[in-house]
Amino acid sequence: MNALEQLTRAPLAAIEFSNILLTQGDAEIGVSPKDVVWTHRATTLYRYRSNQRTHPVPVLLVFALINRPDIFDLRRGNSFVEFLLDEGFDVFLLDWGVSEEEGSDIGLDTYVLDYLHSGIRETLRTAEQEEVSLVGWCIGGALSAMYGALEPSGPVRNMVLLTTPLDTKGSLYASWVARDSFDVDQVADVMPVIPGASIDALNKMMKPVTNYWTTYRRLWEQVLEGSAKREAYQAMAKWVNDNPPFVGRAYREWITSMYKRNELVRNRMRLRGRRVDLTKIEQNLLVVTAGADHIAPREGTLPLLDLVSSEDVTHLDKVGGHIGLMAGSRARKETWPDIADWLRARSDR
Amino acid sequence: MNSRPSPTEEVKRLYEEAESRTAKAMEGLVARDSFGELLAKVTENVMSLTKIGNEAMDMAVRNLRVAGRQDIVRLGRQLARTEDKLELVLQEVEQLQDQLRASQDGDPSSDATGSKAPARKTARSSQ
Repeated sequence: MNALEQLTRAPLAAIEFSNILLTQGDAEIGVSPKDVVWTHRATTLYRYRSNQRTHPVPVLLVFALINRPDIFDLRRGNSFVEFLLDEGFDVFLLDWGVSEEEGSDIGLDTYVLDYLHSGIRETLRTAEQEEVSLVGWCIGGALSAMYGALEPSGPVRNMVLLTTPLDTKGSLYASWVARDSFDVDQVADVMPVIPGASIDALNKMMKPVTNYWTTYRRLWEQVLEGSAKREAYQAMAKWVNDNPPFVGRAYREWITSMYKRNELVRNRMRLRGRRVDLTKIEQNLLVVTAGADHIAPREGTLPLLDLVSSEDVTHLDKVGGHIGLMAGSRARKETWPDIADWLRARSDR
Repeated sequence: MNSRPSPTEEVKRLYEEAESRTAKAMEGLVARDSFGELLAKVTENVMSLTKIGNEAMDMAVRNLRVAGRQDIVRLGRQLARTEDKLELVLQEVEQLQDQLRASQDGDPSSDATGSKAPARKTARSSQ
């Protein structure tokens, strides 16, 4: 397209571009039919509807605390949940919900020992099964690993950890929040819940130009060329900008244990007095890392492979970023089938 | 024949190159120790101002003899704690129901999950 053509198309493209941005809130995400199985405070356990459950061991999806779990079921045709259902799995989702100030007493121990524990219990009761596959992503992966370490002889048969931060030493985020001058106690005292937007802003600050400029510049170019994928962009943008607040106590514990003291990977973390010893993890383990992950760099996940006692350990290293690994355009062909194959081989009686 | 890029393509290429370099430079900038220090100080200042603002607002609302944010949060927390206790009671009831059902069926292997006793049993977490 030459300069004159671009100039002619620009007014229409500007209207289309602004329309995509202004209406992104209307994008439908997380729409696969599901039923509420259990609720407690803000946390909800869902079971996705399916009439083709062939694998007895149910799959429980656990996402991070700083974004909504809709990313597992982003949009029709590009949904990990939909994919798993088509593969014959019985899929459950543990949604942490949106906690407000009254939930500021929730800590990592509550998430792991109460909510995740109860979520697993209710999953087993509902599916009428004795074992479950736990799929944790990002902080959800770290919480799953903590649970696996605390309950090695529990009902988790398989554990899948996706782009999970475990060893934070040397990471960019640690260079910001692990320093003494970053007073996490002050933050958590003043803010009973940390606004999701501020957590998101800090994450985006890791790649400021890419997140605040290049994304929009690329969209503009695609609109100008007529190749913009409106639905895909809006679904992802809506999810990215939907940031629930991080509960103050959990935030304090997360920053202190994971970044300031790096306790988890050193097996020094304690939840309600119980030591979280990663060497106790015995479940079948699949660890998926992404080569271009700047939020949970691969180097921060790999130490787990040497720590665990599991006899069945698989590591998949994929191309992509922290989210793109599972929700990008290549995920359906390159990541999901591998995860489904791994689960399938370990999900029968 | 060698096709030369058009002026538009050349401008685009130069722009993308500049953007890419800026992105790398900015990533280098935010990775610097001084940026981390700046971020920590700014956070501290913002938190201090927020604290002063919150306290002033709360005092003003309380002096008007209406429920302030803290009062509502306190009420919400009481409700949440009641829900916590109800959840524990519910789980106890479910366990007892399962045990009762198991004893009626004469099946000692049934467990608290409502299914047959698992090889790996769920341990109840303590409060």
